[in-house]
Amino acid sequence: MSQPTSASFLPLTRRNLADSWRGLLGWTAGVAGAIFLYVPLYSSFSGENAGFDEVIKSIPEGLSSTLGFEDLTSGAGYVQATFLGLIGFVLFTIAATLWSSAAIAGDEESGSLELTLAHGVSRVQIMVERSLGVMLRLLWLSIVSALLILALNDSSGIDLEPAHVVAGCAALLGLGVLAASFGLAVGAITGRRAFASAAAAGISLLGYILNSLGNQSADVEWLHSLSPYHWAFGNSPLSEGVDGGSLGLIFGISAVVLALGGVVFNRRDVSA
Amino acid sequence: MTYAIETHALTKRYGSNSALEGLDLAVETGSVFGMIGPNGAGKTTAMRLLLDIIRPTSGSATVLGKSPIAGGAALRRDIGFLPGELLLEGRITGRSLLKHYAAISGPVAPGRIDALSERLGLDITRHVRTLSKGNKQKLGLVQAFMHEPKLLVLDEPTSGLDPLVQQEFLSMVREAQHNGQTVFLSSHVLSEIQNAADQVAVLRNGTVVKVGDVASLRASAIRRVVIDFTDAAADDIRTALIALPQLDNLTVTAGDVVHVTGTVEGHIDALVKAIASFHVVDLRVEEQDLESSVIDLYSNEATK
Repeated sequence: MSQPTSASFLPLTRRNLADSWRGLLGWTAGVAGAIFLYVPLYSSFSGENAGFDEVIKSIPEGLSSTLGFEDLTSGAGYVQATFLGLIGFVLFTIAATLWSSAAIAGDEESGSLELTLAHGVSRVQIMVERSLGVMLRLLWLSIVSALLILALNDSSGIDLEPAHVVAGCAALLGLGVLAASFGLAVGAITGRRAFASAAAAGISLLGYILNSLGNQSADVEWLHSLSPYHWAFGNSPLSEGVDGGSLGLIFGISAVVLALGGVVFNRRDVSA
Repeated sequence: MTYAIETHALTKRYGSNSALEGLDLAVETGSVFGMIGPNGAGKTTAMRLLLDIIRPTSGSATVLGKSPIAGGAALRRDIGFLPGELLLEGRITGRSLLKHYAAISGPVAPGRIDALSERLGLDITRHVRTLSKGNKQKLGLVQAFMHEPKLLVLDEPTSGLDPLVQQEFLSMVREAQHNGQTVFLSSHVLSEIQNAADQVAVLRNGTVVKVGDVASLRASAIRRVVIDFTDAAADDIRTALIALPQLDNLTVTAGDVVHVTGTVEGHIDALVKAIASFHVVDLRVEEQDLESSVIDLYSNEATK
């Protein structure tokens, strides 16, 4: 018998990536644009003599602490406040929300999941491979972020340790992965894209709000301990380096959430 | 005798809504088995249970000797499935999509995708979202047939196909049967079953109301008769015919030519003998197609 086309390595992940590379190109451009917009401005705005500090002091304290603008004079503080903690976080959250809700729930609502399931793949395989597809795309965005920040490291004067840049982008990736895990799991459990999107965006928003509230006063600082956003960025990875415990917690919760989603997905009916 | 599909009291309920209620089916290995019934009779539900896309509320199913849940992915490699509503989207060519499905199903022989596509007149270089409904259906048929599965489960396979392609599909079904493959197909277009299936199950409200071969279903079919008489009084004819138990829906129109219509269930022997004493100008016995006779079957069931 001739050797026919047969099972290949990670067929669902490869399909997922092949279907989405155009979108990923757009997201890559978006992340690159944000970095090229904000990071070079550091030297002109926030250098030690630029006086941007005065601008920050003129902003009401509550607002600047909500936005995480307390420390814009250091390179690490500036990149954290502008890209990692704000625009990058928003971009990663939106990407994670869109991709994770589309991966299973969106496919089920469009009716194409039924035909995939009728083939020689298990539910668990679908959950694992599609999740992997989403995570790999988020990983790509975080690698691009790290490389571009490093590329601008000298010219912009932000002057960060390369290992710290990697740590910061790993923290950002963690938040994206966490949001995507909630989107994937809720999508796998309910089969509803709207619920999946709400879960993914919701966990990011909740973390951000808890962090901001915790910033307001010492009385409510304990809210930080509930905020994934604070877990990721609370120990200032750009200046202090990688925070293994926090990253472990974020990725660990993501894995548990995904596993729960997979278990329910394996038991329920898939709708047409 | 072995069965490619066996179900026992297979039941699927959604809340208090029953989609399938105690379905008992036995599909012989190597046969072409048709399932007909109106929309909502449970045909699609039954097929989705066999593919483990949904899980039964109670009862059991055996597909190629295994339960769909226990058989899992390995069992589904031996099945080719065409869903009733085929939704294909995306910026992907037909060929790429078929290769993807080949990667997650049983092995596909080289050249098989091209041969099948050519046979059905499908252009697999086009993006699937630009395909018409009929062409999407062809693509669905190619992905179901391409790995020469032991069992083909086809939900409304000819919907959207033009008559020539329908003929080609029927010959593909016959070839599959010739190869020893089992074909389980559903339709509400009964003419399709009439030409393809050895055995037919009629579904209504989630249960089988009748199983039989096409010939036996046809034998129990209801025939419409039209008879014209001359040189006879309408009343005499009416008196002679009204006594026949097999004859229903009798109408007698008086005139120079007495025009009689009615329906006969079963053999027409008694009717022919009853009209023999009159002068018959014209006698037409019109066999209803399976479709009408099955619809009669439904209405008979409904009035019981």
